Amino acid sequence: MDNSKEWHWFKGGILVSLLSVASYFIFAAIADRNYPFGITAGFGYLAAKFGNLIASLTENPVIKRYSEKPDAFIEFFLLIGLVISGYTASKLSATLTPENIPAVWIKYHGKNVIKRYFFVLTGSVFLGYGAALASGCTTGNILQGWAHLSLGSIVAGIAFFAAGIITARILYPNLGRQQ
Amino acid sequence: MMVLQIFFGLVTGFLFGFILTKTGITKYPRVMGMLLLKDFKILKFMLTAVTSSLILFYLLGDINLLKVVPKNLDWGKLVGGLIFGTGMGILGYCPGTMMARIGEGKKEAILALFGMAFGIFLYALTIKPVKQLFLSGEINGDISILLGVNRWMIIIPAAIVFAGIIYFLNKKVSDNNQIF
Repeated sequence: MDNSKEWHWFKGGILVSLLSVASYFIFAAIADRNYPFGITAGFGYLAAKFGNLIASLTENPVIKRYSEKPDAFIEFFLLIGLVISGYTASKLSATLTPENIPAVWIKYHGKNVIKRYFFVLTGSVFLGYGAALASGCTTGNILQGWAHLSLGSIVAGIAFFAAGIITARILYPNLGRQQ
Repeated sequence: MMVLQIFFGLVTGFLFGFILTKTGITKYPRVMGMLLLKDFKILKFMLTAVTSSLILFYLLGDINLLKVVPKNLDWGKLVGGLIFGTGMGILGYCPGTMMARIGEGKKEAILALFGMAFGIFLYALTIKPVKQLFLSGEINGDISILLGVNRWMIIIPAAIVFAGIIYFLNKKVSDNNQIF
């Protein structure tokens, strides 16, 4: 892992904080919501697009919420912005690496693509379900929720780490234990 | 209005993703390194952002420029949090970094995008029982109201704890551990 071109965590953290505060005012002005930017509702917008194809689901409260509220529409474009910046930032620092599955995964779990895809699909379905139930992902519940000192987000964030740490130790047992 | 929403969505996403990618937050070894408690760069990054936002939000709230609305607590936060954390461990990154990774050319993240949306779709299908089980009986999310103290009595100690964790981790663990 070449880290020599990375920004310092302090610089990154302060910049994200300024973006969060700015986004609060944007969302208040154009989405009628008193909360800074999140990520989950953008995926919710996609899920709702799919749900609306099925007649019996158009009145479902979750599908309705994500297809009607403007914040989901904005966060959908936020997701597209993330893709564009991932390309731009890695191109600029010449770290654009068109790999499929992570090199670390291959080193410890082999290069069977189907096996990795099975984990990717399982993991991401868990992410979606969990983020919807906890009403926010790492961005909404930690970056923003902890900054609001929300009791709900503090519990959600600690649960993210607790379950993540256990899962990581199961996947990489020897790395988790040594010293 | 719609043009404005698209524009600000794109710009906010671009800036967020640029910072995430440049700081190295999108890297699989960094996320797994954090969950294996060997690499704390992401945690230091997050806690720096949280501490700075915490102070900014409440200062701006005090002068009535914005309204801080903490998220309430229900069982969904705990159960959803555990499901999400398991998913993050299995996948090796979170939803925001997933999208930046697609831009970085990591092809498997496209599959994750559909998986994430499908997970929310499954949530919609199960909303009736889930609502009864986990989403009834909320507790107010504002700790200062729960404890009946001034907000700053919570904010200042929280900021000190966050800063203390950052300082301690930064002293103890290098950002360049080759753990894998």
